[in-house]
Amino acid sequence: MPATDFVAAQKVNRRNTLILLAALTALAALFGYLIGWVMQIEAGGPVGPVSSFGVAAAGALAIASIAWSGLSLAFGNRLVNAMSEAREIGKEEAPQLFNVVEEMSIAAGVPMPKVRIMETDALNAFATGTSTSNASIAVTRGLLNQLNRDELQGVVAHEMAHIANLDTRYMTVVVVTVGLVVLIADMTLRSMAWGRFGGRFGGSRSSDRRSGGNAILIIVLLVVAVVAPIAARAVQMAVSRQREYLADATSVQFTRNPNGLIAALTKLTAAAAPFPGVSRATQHLFIVNPIQTFTANSSALMATHPDLADRIARLRNLGG
Amino acid sequence: MTALWIALGIVVLIVLWLIMIYNGLVAGRTQAQAAWSQIDVQLKRRHDLIPNLVQVVKDAMGYEQETLTKVIQARNSAVAASAAGPAQAAPAEAALSQATRGLFALVESYPQLKANDNVKQLQEELTTTENKIAFARQFYNDSVASYNVRRQSFPAVMAAQSLGFGPMELFNMPETEREVPKVALR
Repeated sequence: MPATDFVAAQKVNRRNTLILLAALTALAALFGYLIGWVMQIEAGGPVGPVSSFGVAAAGALAIASIAWSGLSLAFGNRLVNAMSEAREIGKEEAPQLFNVVEEMSIAAGVPMPKVRIMETDALNAFATGTSTSNASIAVTRGLLNQLNRDELQGVVAHEMAHIANLDTRYMTVVVVTVGLVVLIADMTLRSMAWGRFGGRFGGSRSSDRRSGGNAILIIVLLVVAVVAPIAARAVQMAVSRQREYLADATSVQFTRNPNGLIAALTKLTAAAAPFPGVSRATQHLFIVNPIQTFTANSSALMATHPDLADRIARLRNLGG
Repeated sequence: MTALWIALGIVVLIVLWLIMIYNGLVAGRTQAQAAWSQIDVQLKRRHDLIPNLVQVVKDAMGYEQETLTKVIQARNSAVAASAAGPAQAAPAEAALSQATRGLFALVESYPQLKANDNVKQLQEELTTTENKIAFARQFYNDSVASYNVRRQSFPAVMAAQSLGFGPMELFNMPETEREVPKVALR
């Protein structure tokens, strides 16, 4: 029964969201502890492995991370829509798109999502929402102009599958939390650059002990700043490929017509191009990756989307 | 005394199990009924749209063609059958789909109809309604099938009928109906 598939997929996504948020909270606590530890050494050291500053900083960052997790579940979808410059439209502006979305919401048995448009000639689409009732589907103007009704239906069905499977909840939370890790890492690296700059002008201000503390701080922060985003992104990408296969299969289950999605994927991949509103933080949301070009080795570890030929081969196996 | 408690515990477990089965039957029936009302909404919408499209086509062509009369007849008998439930409505709705296909073919063969904005807009609305009927039917039939399996499984099968959980009807229409939108938009 199709209903059981959704229930299973939703359960996995609820669990993955929790695991992701817990892991990021643990990461934030570890990061805080390292900062606090180094700060205590700087302030008066020497301290053992258990540092009171470290515990305090770890607690503060863990609480901040939990608060951020709550915010990302509550407002994540709005943030993503704002980041990607997707404007909500009414039926009169694109009746056919609106009709197709309505058809797919009936096929999936979920409430009608909001419909959004991104004003760009690139061909792409994505879905967001932290539940099936606050979801939205966004497509680009180029997609609307260049796809026929069957192809549009295939793409919309793929996005509707992400919503029905609750992929959108996980993926939206990933954007907001992984985005934060990247932001913190960027800020850390930037502040280190400024610190060195200031030190050069300040000259004799730093004592020997202080520069020793600085060295540790720099090493720790450098490791965190480099490792954290890579780890976060590897998780984001590994998980997103399985989702694409499942969403392709579910799409065909809705439309009973694999050829629409196959034709659409072929057109989309040929025209995949970056456009304003796409960043490294949101690339995994889209039906085809707008940043990476598809080559034979794109099913390597760091790819957000499976190789197109692979996706089409799997669709043909479904009876296309 | 211990044996009594164990017996009591078993009775409580059995009662909880029966309540779960009962609730499962209620949930299944409710989902199927909700799915049927979705089909019903779309069938009504089709009944409302067809006279508009026929009128627009008639105006654009300047005379009433045989196809148009057939469509209106099929539409009227579908409206008449719609109150009687899935089994009675299905053949009439299938005949209406057939007639609609004829209407789409008519539009395709007359360039002045194909270029008419009103016709285009109504054709898109009718196409999406046809699709919605098909998808709602898919969802309804899946729901009914899983409900029917549930009410025929042991131990529900012993009491389902007497508790008012009768079998539900599938809504079957000819499979060719799914081809309608593809023909219409090329």
